[in-house]
Amino acid sequence: MSYLNNPAIVMDNGTGLTKLGFAGNDSPSWVFPTAIATAQRSATKSGGSGASSSTMQNQSAPYFGNSTSATSFNSLASAALMSNNLAGKRGTEDLDFYIGNEALSAAQGPSYSLSYPIRHGQVENWDHMERFWENSIFKYLRTEPEDHFFLLTEPPLNPPENREQVAEIFFESFNCAGLYIAVQAVLALAASWTSSKVVDRSLTGTVIDSGDGVTHVIPVAEGYVIGSAIKNIPIAGRDITLFIQSLLRERGEEDTTLRTAERIKQEYCYVCSDIVKEFNKFDRDSEKFAQFIVENTEKTKRKVIDVGYERFLAPEIFFNPEIASSDFLTPLPTVVDQTIQACPIDVRKGLYNNIVLSGGSTMFKDFGRRLQRDLKGLVNNRIALSESLSGTRSTGVDVQVISHRRQRNAVWFGGSLLAQTAEFKGYCHTKKDYEEIGPEIVRNFSLFNMV
Amino acid sequence: MLHLRPENLLVQKTLTEAWNASESGSPLTLDRVISDFDYTTLHVSNSPDNKNVLWLSIKTKAWQSVSKCGDGFLEHLQSKYSGFSGIAPVGQPEQGYDYTLSVDLAQLQPDAIVQLSLLKIHMMSFAFQLAFHEFSLLSQQAQDPASFSGSNDTGTVRQLQYRDDENIFIKPSNDRITVIFETFFQDETDKVFGKVFLQEFVDARKRNRSIQSAPQVLFSHEPPLEAASVMTSRKADKNRRFITFVLFQRHFQTPELQFSSVCHLALFRNYFHYHIKCSKAYMHSRMRYRVDTFIKVLNRAKLDEKDDGDQTRRTITGRKLVY
Amino acid sequence: MSQSLRPYLTAVRYSLQAALNLTNFSSQEVERHNRPEVEVPNTSAELLLQPMHVSRNEHEQVLIEPSVNSVRVSIKVKQADEIEQILVHKFTRFLEQRAESFYVLRRVPIEGFSISFLITNKHTETMKTEKLVDFIIEFMEEVDKEISEMKLFLNARARFVAEAYLGEFVY
Repeated sequence: MSYLNNPAIVMDNGTGLTKLGFAGNDSPSWVFPTAIATAQRSATKSGGSGASSSTMQNQSAPYFGNSTSATSFNSLASAALMSNNLAGKRGTEDLDFYIGNEALSAAQGPSYSLSYPIRHGQVENWDHMERFWENSIFKYLRTEPEDHFFLLTEPPLNPPENREQVAEIFFESFNCAGLYIAVQAVLALAASWTSSKVVDRSLTGTVIDSGDGVTHVIPVAEGYVIGSAIKNIPIAGRDITLFIQSLLRERGEEDTTLRTAERIKQEYCYVCSDIVKEFNKFDRDSEKFAQFIVENTEKTKRKVIDVGYERFLAPEIFFNPEIASSDFLTPLPTVVDQTIQACPIDVRKGLYNNIVLSGGSTMFKDFGRRLQRDLKGLVNNRIALSESLSGTRSTGVDVQVISHRRQRNAVWFGGSLLAQTAEFKGYCHTKKDYEEIGPEIVRNFSLFNMV
Repeated sequence: MLHLRPENLLVQKTLTEAWNASESGSPLTLDRVISDFDYTTLHVSNSPDNKNVLWLSIKTKAWQSVSKCGDGFLEHLQSKYSGFSGIAPVGQPEQGYDYTLSVDLAQLQPDAIVQLSLLKIHMMSFAFQLAFHEFSLLSQQAQDPASFSGSNDTGTVRQLQYRDDENIFIKPSNDRITVIFETFFQDETDKVFGKVFLQEFVDARKRNRSIQSAPQVLFSHEPPLEAASVMTSRKADKNRRFITFVLFQRHFQTPELQFSSVCHLALFRNYFHYHIKCSKAYMHSRMRYRVDTFIKVLNRAKLDEKDDGDQTRRTITGRKLVY
Repeated sequence: MSQSLRPYLTAVRYSLQAALNLTNFSSQEVERHNRPEVEVPNTSAELLLQPMHVSRNEHEQVLIEPSVNSVRVSIKVKQADEIEQILVHKFTRFLEQRAESFYVLRRVPIEGFSISFLITNKHTETMKTEKLVDFIIEFMEEVDKEISEMKLFLNARARFVAEAYLGEFVY
């Protein structure tokens, strides 16, 4: 069975972005929006079958070129064929769609409509998701699913029925060789093992996962998510971008598009230790101010945008939410502290000791250090209080926040790490198991212990 | 997506990224595994001594049988890339791989990237090239009545083992080339679906006039005579199917036609299985729709919950008291 | 609708209406149990009624097994050939996988049938019997239609795919 030597496929389908790749690689091979552009029913039906497919081809040609066109009715011979084949009548609309970035550009045309099959981390539209996977596997990864094992991810608290649906699709439609579904937070913990600060490879820790839409704080004890203690914060990447945009607008900068704000966020922002001191530093030292240059696509016009206090103010909204929002006011360190306090007492030390960052919005410089300092302050205050009340000495709690180089795609990377081990295939459920027992088999997966 | 493309998009993307990075003066450190259909793994990595030189290695199931087909295999592969500067085979392939090309990013052209992404097809095409060549010899012989022996069954059968249990047999003769796919279904549903699909492949040419000039397709459970000679010690298997494509000269007259025919034939199995999977996916979405309509019908049967204040008592927040 | 289908469905409808006369009934054997009597290996024959077998032909049959507090309806869906067999199997499996939202669907069919429903007195108390019967009848009609549509689709798709592939060889 030589398929055992084929690399496993790791797929992390998030609300915003999908990361696809092969186990053993250090980064995902493809990162694109989890979006699908499907042919609008009315558009394909109203035009005569052959005519509509060939006009669609003409429209889409400038966007994609021939090599990546999704429904390539592109050779002249076959375009002529379609007209007498009555392609429309035969119901081949389900083959006519694009995913990822191609979907975004296809949706600008009139004949496709865009949709996002995943909402809040969970699959909403299974029809679209199935086709999204179909295209991911055959077009982008170029693999025969029968020859590969798959590692998929799911959000914490995903209902088991959803897992069964995933299994149904992967085993029945795709005949995949084997399947493992892992919780994203657990993979993020595994990804942190690459950091030099991690001494023991345990699956206990708190994961702070901050993407574009929402930030989760997820406690994990020995590989199991403590569901009751999970907390969400409605502040994430998009809010930071919007905040920068509003600052730019207040100052009346030349270019205040969302794209510019996002570039500034990615290139200039950092977390400071104290806002007041940082303001003073800026006032004393004009070197701190930066300039961001926007060029239009033809490189003929240039706009110069000053980047000032937003360099440190923008990420500050995690720690002082009141500067940007009026309805959510709890700083991130306090939320983390509350989360851990809501967990069983015997795992709290482990949770404080191993706080792991994951997702693009945790990539700011010194984000981890600031979080660690603030959280330590909260914990030490509480210890001091309880010592003074009880009169006994505490053994102390060690707070440690771990940042590492793979933070941006931590979940995918964790999956890649696990799936490249020799034991991985033993943990998967195989097609044979599925046929023997049925979809309920995926309700349980044994945990990796890599110690 | 109707057709599978012969080129590997991921190879193109990786090489383009590496090229851009190298152009801008900060070459990437690469160590990536890329996969392709039929047990093919490609590996892109930096060459040991120079970051601006990449190694592209390929390991594939079919390698062994293709190299056994005839002499000049490595030369054939080399000739595909000799037109591009900066691409050269590495004498000793990378450990665990069958063939390694070194790619100098400084001299890389966009055309070369496309050709590199076709590496697997170029490799497979060797066996077909030999067959095309033998065909031209045989057909010349046949035209020359002096040397024509009367039998047209003289070509050598070349066997490509492209998957564990599946082979392609290529047999040239003086007026045609026969390409036989041996295929095998593991899944019961696939077997039935596959049968429907294969039957249509056989019938398509008869039914549709505009594709009359396509190769003839035959389908059988028994190994066709052309392949029987090499299929000696194999046990009969009920799940085994044989699909025969009969190519005539019009399908491989020019090198361009040869290349496009080879591309399509090399992807036949993938194309075929891909569409079986697509139809299963489509059926799933039909069934989901059916489930929804059935549930709607069933919900019509539900009694409306009556809200008469005497029988159900409610709290001030509107919750029902249950007792 | 073909000639013989209507009488077949009518027969099923009337038999079902007759059978769906259920009452709450506590188990005679185990204290404080209330279970569908058709489903338990029964020692008390008086709780079970005569099963009714409605048959259109050897491929299409319905078995209605009434009892005092539950009715089991098993349907054999027409399967003319290998393709229909696999499609029926896939479709019923898909439905059974979602039995939770169907209330009356049994996760496993009775041997020899494609799909089974179990209607208990709990169901008849919360749902209109008339409409439940409608559902079963509609289900029987739709399943046949769906299977033949899927079969047509499969053939059409296969033809389309084959022609598209061979079309690439037309130069």
